[in-house]
Amino acid sequence: MSTYNYTSRPRALPCQRRRYRHDLLQPPDEPMHHGNIMYDRRVIRGNTYALQMGPPPVQSDALEFQRLQQSHKKAAAKRRALDQFRPQSPEAVEGRKHLSVQTGAWPSPGSHLNQRLEERDLTQNGWKVCLRVARHPPGIRHPEGPRPAIPACPGPPRPDPNAGRPLGVSPQLFDFDLEVKPMLEVLVGKTIEQALLEVMEEEELASLQVRQYNYEELRNAELAEVQRLEEQERRHREEKERRKQQQWEIVHKQTETSQKIAARVFAQRYLSDLLPSVFGSLRDAGYFYDPVERDIEVGFLPWLLNEVDKAMEHSMLGRAVLDMLIREVVQRRQAAYEALMGRQAFLAPETGFMAPTTMVYPPEVDGPQDLLTPGTQGLLLDRDLLQTTQSRLSVGRPVDSTSLQDGLYMEEEGEEPFEIGGP
Amino acid sequence: MDATTAPHRIPPEMPQYGEEHHIFEMMQTLLEQLLIHQPKEPISFMIEHLQRNNDNVPKIVILGPPASGKTTIAMWLSKHLNSNLITKDNLIEEEFSHQTEDVKNYYQMTKTVPNELLMKMIQTRLNESDCIKRGWILDGIPETREQTLMIQSAGVNPKHVIVLNAPDMVLIERNLGKRIDPNTGEIYHTTFDWPHDVDIQKRLTIPEGISEVETAQKLLEYHRSIIRIIPSYLKVLKAISADQPCVDVFYQALTYVQSNQRSNAPFTPRVLLLGPLGSGKKLQAGLLAQKYNLINICCGQQLKEAVADKTQYGEVVQSFFEKQITVPDSVIMKVLSQRLKQQDAIKNGWVLHGFPCHLDQARMLDSVGYKPNRVFFLNVPLDTIVERLTLRRIDPVTGERYHLMYKPAPTMEIQARLLQNPKDMEENVKAKIDLFYRNCTELEEFYEDAITLNGDQDPYTVFEYIESGIINPLPKKIL
Repeated sequence: MSTYNYTSRPRALPCQRRRYRHDLLQPPDEPMHHGNIMYDRRVIRGNTYALQMGPPPVQSDALEFQRLQQSHKKAAAKRRALDQFRPQSPEAVEGRKHLSVQTGAWPSPGSHLNQRLEERDLTQNGWKVCLRVARHPPGIRHPEGPRPAIPACPGPPRPDPNAGRPLGVSPQLFDFDLEVKPMLEVLVGKTIEQALLEVMEEEELASLQVRQYNYEELRNAELAEVQRLEEQERRHREEKERRKQQQWEIVHKQTETSQKIAARVFAQRYLSDLLPSVFGSLRDAGYFYDPVERDIEVGFLPWLLNEVDKAMEHSMLGRAVLDMLIREVVQRRQAAYEALMGRQAFLAPETGFMAPTTMVYPPEVDGPQDLLTPGTQGLLLDRDLLQTTQSRLSVGRPVDSTSLQDGLYMEEEGEEPFEIGGP
Repeated sequence: MDATTAPHRIPPEMPQYGEEHHIFEMMQTLLEQLLIHQPKEPISFMIEHLQRNNDNVPKIVILGPPASGKTTIAMWLSKHLNSNLITKDNLIEEEFSHQTEDVKNYYQMTKTVPNELLMKMIQTRLNESDCIKRGWILDGIPETREQTLMIQSAGVNPKHVIVLNAPDMVLIERNLGKRIDPNTGEIYHTTFDWPHDVDIQKRLTIPEGISEVETAQKLLEYHRSIIRIIPSYLKVLKAISADQPCVDVFYQALTYVQSNQRSNAPFTPRVLLLGPLGSGKKLQAGLLAQKYNLINICCGQQLKEAVADKTQYGEVVQSFFEKQITVPDSVIMKVLSQRLKQQDAIKNGWVLHGFPCHLDQARMLDSVGYKPNRVFFLNVPLDTIVERLTLRRIDPVTGERYHLMYKPAPTMEIQARLLQNPKDMEENVKAKIDLFYRNCTELEEFYEDAITLNGDQDPYTVFEYIESGIINPLPKKIL
């Protein structure tokens, strides 16, 4: 896959060993000789901003040729125009004429290599720019194009190698010693130039290294400094934070403490009345009572009332029994009297129905009645009955008072065992 | 001086918090329970007690002679307060299944239950969870002093005791008309409480023991015992006459049950008096401040004082005074809060009048943190206000203030030169009163616990009402 498109694909360029082509049609079976592009005249090396010569005019098209001619003329005109502004040596004085004369020998092909390099320091950084200042005879004019490595000028006229040759020696093509010199010069010069370049390169590299090393040192130092400062800054910040935190905690604790104390004081004051009021309320509710009072109320008084009750019961009982006794006696008396009255009725029936107005024995009869204390209704009823029977008895039996009294005495006697001894 | 000895300022939120949540009463009940039960693990006992949170449940005892309507009132109260009704019959029904045979026989023979047994039954019943959660109402227990003493020693303390009173003859007559619905157990009366439903009417039965003689005997017993029970419950007692219609009795009982007993909690009164112009707020505030050392804060007065003192707020207020427009709420609020946060106002309490005129002002007062704990609305009819205000006069020479009806000027000469303040003209007065009535419904809604008083009486009567409102704890509304 092609990631890049070429207008013309890169290809190896064939070179022409021979200066002149034999035929237009090169036999194809001969191996193609590829030339070194370093030494190819077609390759432009160096500054391409200057005006270029271009390829030699090809007389194919008349129009193109005319155009080329015109451009050449323009270039020449421009050159002439510029020549006026070129600084030149002053015009010749009256009576003199300036000639451009070659003062020195033609420079050998490699001589420019042997020239001393003047080093001029052109930059500020200390970078040294080597400027080769070559002195060339004024006649030589570098073509305004890339300068080939080997000067294009034909060079000085060479002496004939066959001159002064003794007979018998085969004619030489060239004079080795003479011819070798420039070649040697070139070779040696090139080698030396290369070596110099390499040395320079090494020097440059060394100086670069030194520079870099210095720079690194500086940089490290600065970096260390920066780090130190940063560390310091960080420590300061942390310290500040910590102190702020501490302070905040202290303040917080203080407020909390004061709040707690306020709360405690308030609670104490608020509940100061709690105990008395609790005891008061419990006493009102009756939970706290005076034990003596309670004991009297619960224990003593009921017992007392009970005993009083009992005492009263006793006396009431006594009286009830007494009533019963009296009733019994009176009943018996009545029965006896009735029996007696029954007998008397046979003898004197007309007197039996007299109204019982005369009470012969009221004092005697009433006497024992006084012994009876007023009792209940039942006893009262008995008493009435008793009274009527007594009155009836009183009418019929004045003689029998003794027997009545006997009966009474009998009752009284009988009473004694029933007299209940005291409470 | 370290943190413990530096002077501390108790923030006013603390007493307010204590009051709101009735901390003192809570502590009191807690301590009482601790003393009564004396548990081995006091802390867990206290925690349990606090979690039960039943300090406010009703604990009521209702006593009264037969035919006074005890049971009716008790049943109505228990329904209303959502509480448990406990009578002797209830207890006997529920608990007797647990008792032994001879006890049952004894009961069947004598129809009485020995006191100790009754006490035990009551205690077990009151310790059950529904009584703990919802409270209890005892109907007709205790009957005798011994029972009272036993209950008290057991630690059962009713919060309210209601005794119904009525003349004997009324009761005897009333008892003759008593009828019972056998299904529900409700008591009806031939004259006073006849049921509407015909079915219930048909099935009503005559209970036994309602003849005059029996009633008289029961009354005798009752009088003998009640006279000895009453002294034990003097502090929580209320006697209600049962000779009224049932509803009145019930209403009285309900209001009594909803009121709390006075507690010894420390209390700084922060009183708010609201009412239309001329209802007597300033006068009452003055009396209160004099008697109880409260700080009398009248809104208008404070603004004028601020102006006179030339404080920063005073200048702002003055600009409004000059233009004769009402000062905006925020400024008033700032002036008042400055006054209210001073030490003496916090310590002694305050009486505020003339300030919240409408709901926004009331809300602002609340938000700043000065909540009043007693709010009084003085209701005065319009005519009285007009009469009170339009007849005010002032004597320009001596400066004495007179009133044409209540405090007339002594001599004709003075009377001739009396002048009336243009603010007291009828139109102005009526305008201001209208303004108040427009806002007063909102204010009543906002202050739910407010007490409304009749301001149409003479000032000392009104003052006594206000005093009782301040001193007695706020009734808790169950309705």
